[in-house]
Amino acid sequence: MFDLKKYRKKSPWILHYNAGSCNGCDIEILAAMSPKYDLERFGVINTGNPKQSDVFLVTGPVTLRSRERLVELYTQMPEPKVVVAVGSCTCTGGVFRDMYNVEDGIDRYIPVDVYIPGCAASPELIIDGLVQALDILESKTKEMEYPYKLAKDVKVEDGVINRRDVARGVEDKDEED
Amino acid sequence: MHTLLIILPILFAGIILVNKTATKNLVAIFFVAVLALASLVSYFSFESPYVADLPHFSHSLFIFVDIVLLLYFLVQGIVKTHSVVTLLSLAQLVLYGVLLSLSQTISSSDILIDKLSIMMYLIINMVGGIIIIYSLKYIQSEELSEFKKRSFIALEFFFLAVMNFLVSTNNIEIFFMLFEFTTLCSYLLIGYRSDAIATSNALKALWMNQIGGVVILLALILSSLHYDTIHFDLLIANIEDIYLIPIALLGVAAFVKGASIPFESWLLGAMVAPTPVSAMLHSATMVKIAPFLMLKLAPAMSEFVSLSITLFGTFVFFTASLMALSKDYFKEILGLSTIALLALMMAMASIGTAEAIEACLVLMVFHAISKALLFLQAGILEKSFHLKYMKDIDGLIDKSPLVVFFIVIGFASLTLPPFGAFIAKFMAIESISELIALNPLYAISLLFIALGSVFLTLLYFKVLTKLFAKDIDTKESSKIIISKYYSYTSFALVALLVLGIFVSYKMQLLNSFEIFIPTLLILTTLILFASTFFKKAHRVKEYYCGEKERLSVNMYYFNIPESFIKTVHLVSVLFLIVLVLGVLL
Amino acid sequence: MTQVLLIILAPIIGGLLYGFERKLRARMQNRVGPPLLQPFYDTLKLMDKQAFLINPYHSILGIMHFFTLWVVVAFVILEENLLYIVFLHLLSAIFLILAGFSVRSIFSHIGANRELLSIIAYEPILILVAVGFFMSVGSFEIATIRENSSQLLSMFLLFLSFLLIIPVKLKKSPFDAVEAHQEIVGGVEIEFSGIFYEFLYMAKWLEYIFIFLLLSLFAGDNIALAISLFISVFLVLNLVDNATARIKMAHLIKIVLTLGLSLGLLNLIGLSYV
Repeated sequence: MFDLKKYRKKSPWILHYNAGSCNGCDIEILAAMSPKYDLERFGVINTGNPKQSDVFLVTGPVTLRSRERLVELYTQMPEPKVVVAVGSCTCTGGVFRDMYNVEDGIDRYIPVDVYIPGCAASPELIIDGLVQALDILESKTKEMEYPYKLAKDVKVEDGVINRRDVARGVEDKDEED
Repeated sequence: MHTLLIILPILFAGIILVNKTATKNLVAIFFVAVLALASLVSYFSFESPYVADLPHFSHSLFIFVDIVLLLYFLVQGIVKTHSVVTLLSLAQLVLYGVLLSLSQTISSSDILIDKLSIMMYLIINMVGGIIIIYSLKYIQSEELSEFKKRSFIALEFFFLAVMNFLVSTNNIEIFFMLFEFTTLCSYLLIGYRSDAIATSNALKALWMNQIGGVVILLALILSSLHYDTIHFDLLIANIEDIYLIPIALLGVAAFVKGASIPFESWLLGAMVAPTPVSAMLHSATMVKIAPFLMLKLAPAMSEFVSLSITLFGTFVFFTASLMALSKDYFKEILGLSTIALLALMMAMASIGTAEAIEACLVLMVFHAISKALLFLQAGILEKSFHLKYMKDIDGLIDKSPLVVFFIVIGFASLTLPPFGAFIAKFMAIESISELIALNPLYAISLLFIALGSVFLTLLYFKVLTKLFAKDIDTKESSKIIISKYYSYTSFALVALLVLGIFVSYKMQLLNSFEIFIPTLLILTTLILFASTFFKKAHRVKEYYCGEKERLSVNMYYFNIPESFIKTVHLVSVLFLIVLVLGVLL
Repeated sequence: MTQVLLIILAPIIGGLLYGFERKLRARMQNRVGPPLLQPFYDTLKLMDKQAFLINPYHSILGIMHFFTLWVVVAFVILEENLLYIVFLHLLSAIFLILAGFSVRSIFSHIGANRELLSIIAYEPILILVAVGFFMSVGSFEIATIRENSSQLLSMFLLFLSFLLIIPVKLKKSPFDAVEAHQEIVGGVEIEFSGIFYEFLYMAKWLEYIFIFLLLSLFAGDNIALAISLFISVFLVLNLVDNATARIKMAHLIKIVLTLGLSLGLLNLIGLSYV
């Protein structure tokens, strides 16, 4: 069978999630889709649906309310997938580092593949980061990738893998954090 | 053979009434099998129309029975202090007396069994028989005395006898008597549970059907005075275009029996009856008298009568489907769609071309089977799941996938290829298209049919919203097993539907591609449902923006304003007045 | 023989059309746009993803929707009865709607409900168009319609109402409330992923082929007219899509039905006097 892997690069569908950011980086991402910078020439479609996307574009330092939803959306994406952290807040916490209400970036929760710095990251940087993420996407396998925190194991019933409850809520106390 | 079909059920009714042994269910099933076999034999051995005369004493017997019946209605009106019933019974007695005083010089045979009667036998005995087997189990779980339970089954057999006789007779006076008998059966069976709402709905059904009776008597008197006959075939043969009033009045009687607007409230009120009653009387057999009567009158209709009945029938088809979108009670939804399809059948019958009449017959047969199947499921929902309203049904597919399968097949068989009711609708549109060139008003009819069929599709599939959503997260297996009587009868009706596909292929209503490819698609879907499981796919949650809450599913409802319903009633009354006055001028 | 070949190649032609359309829209918006073969790249990528499933019924109904739509296109290419094709298309829409109802997802249910409501909008007009052809040409068979001269002038008002429902069926503005991507995240197709989404994606391409084949019927046996109709309608469709906003579902049904049905009725009455 001919190599399907190279087609992953040709049609990356993104899921854009705001984990508590000030919307600056979100505006830049939307600007990247506009005619001036035109992300669609790479075949990018902004699907709002984790089940149909390959690239998880996250902005914002992870606020307390968005942790569960971040992990939930991450587990609902099918492999192979890449995570791109857009903006300084998402990489290290940015101006909000060490504050009581944020978690200093997403890489405590989910594995990140590309870090895009900037406050706000400019559209050219975003396009550059996305293209690098596509190269990483091509080399990934279809093995399941787990979040670091707030995750349970998959259940296997009759040989069928069930991922419905992998993302754990913050209140569930049946596992060590 | 034909006399057997009329006499035997009365005998069976009597036996069931007194049979207290433990084998009464088997006895009833055996009787049903006998009747079904008899109707099949008469269908396959039919060569030419069979005419016969009834013995002379029978006429006096029928007059006596008819007067007793009308007096019974009068008594019911007085006892239950319902003024309309009393007034209409008095009117009927007076008119009947006037009719008896007239005598006719020309007469014809009293029994006439043609192809139409043979097909009606099939519907009445086979579909009616299956419903009787279903009601054996249904009536067991009702809170009634043993005698009342036995007389329920006996009444159903008696009703089969009445219907068998009604479709075989050529004499309009006997037809009137049997019409009143069906009104009686309807009245008794609707009020069977004897609570307040059942009794009041039974009385409403009674007086609305009595309007039909009054109209038939008027038609009889006028036919006897002008055409000097009370037989269908002579009336139709000697019809003159300037004096069509008996035909118009009989048409109005058909509309009353078929519960067209403005008479639809008796059928909707009749839904409080036990479900086998709704299935047998109010969808499969009794209301089929309406298109049956129209088919008999079709050769005699003038252009004006035919056009106005077609316009009115398609108008009712459209508005009844629209009104059903606002209902929540499952049986009312089914009842309104019955009214709509009956109006379509009557419109087809009055068009009169060969293709239109074939469309009407095909729709009659397949609508009976599909609606019986749906009403049986409504009964199962009522008895095994205690559900009446659509808003309470949730996740039925986990508790009983079989019932959901039957409901989906029932609804699909009314709208989608390759099933029979769809073929009839297709032929209806084809036959109206041919007539538009002759008279542009038929284009409005076509519009009503197109809109009505699309609203019916919306109605049926919106009901499936709550039934179909499968809940993955329930761990305990909550399947409820339904009784064998219920499932076997439903399977029998589905088998009849499948047989219908083959019959339509044999009759070449559509070509082979058009029939077999959708059948193949539906079969493939069912086989895939049963077999594939996609082991390698991971099971995931539905998308809810990352939230963890559970979802409760809801349905669309469409609010029909009261003023719309009032306008529709007004327009339909105007239609009927135009029909009757138009033939007088 | 050519017909069988056309039937087998129908999804591929549809994919090329879909890709060309994305390029056209991008150029109208003064940007470069994805490459022409983008739909096929999407297909190949989707085949390589981990398969996700909510329940087997849902996915099976999605697959059957695609195959039924392919059968409908096959019927049109094989020149069968037009009125029957309209109802067979209803069967494919019903598969999609049942798929939408078979999961407990709010967006899926809203999308399926809207799909059901959009059937109210387009099906009566399709029936009127079929009857209009019957009255002009004398038969419902597509073979007869293709052999006769173009009925565009005698069925002009019906052609206008057919143009009105093309955006409804192809899910384009202003009538794309059914698949309102920013509002209900795609409606029915939200719960499909990977290889199962592929079937729905290909069904979208086939819908294009179906609509444009029906459009070419208005040109009868005049191939030049058919091609020019196709090009002009394609351009106007994308222009309107780029320039208009989405209208609500209730308004969609009201506008399409009142305008479409009155135009169609006038045309049929006119045809009856000829």
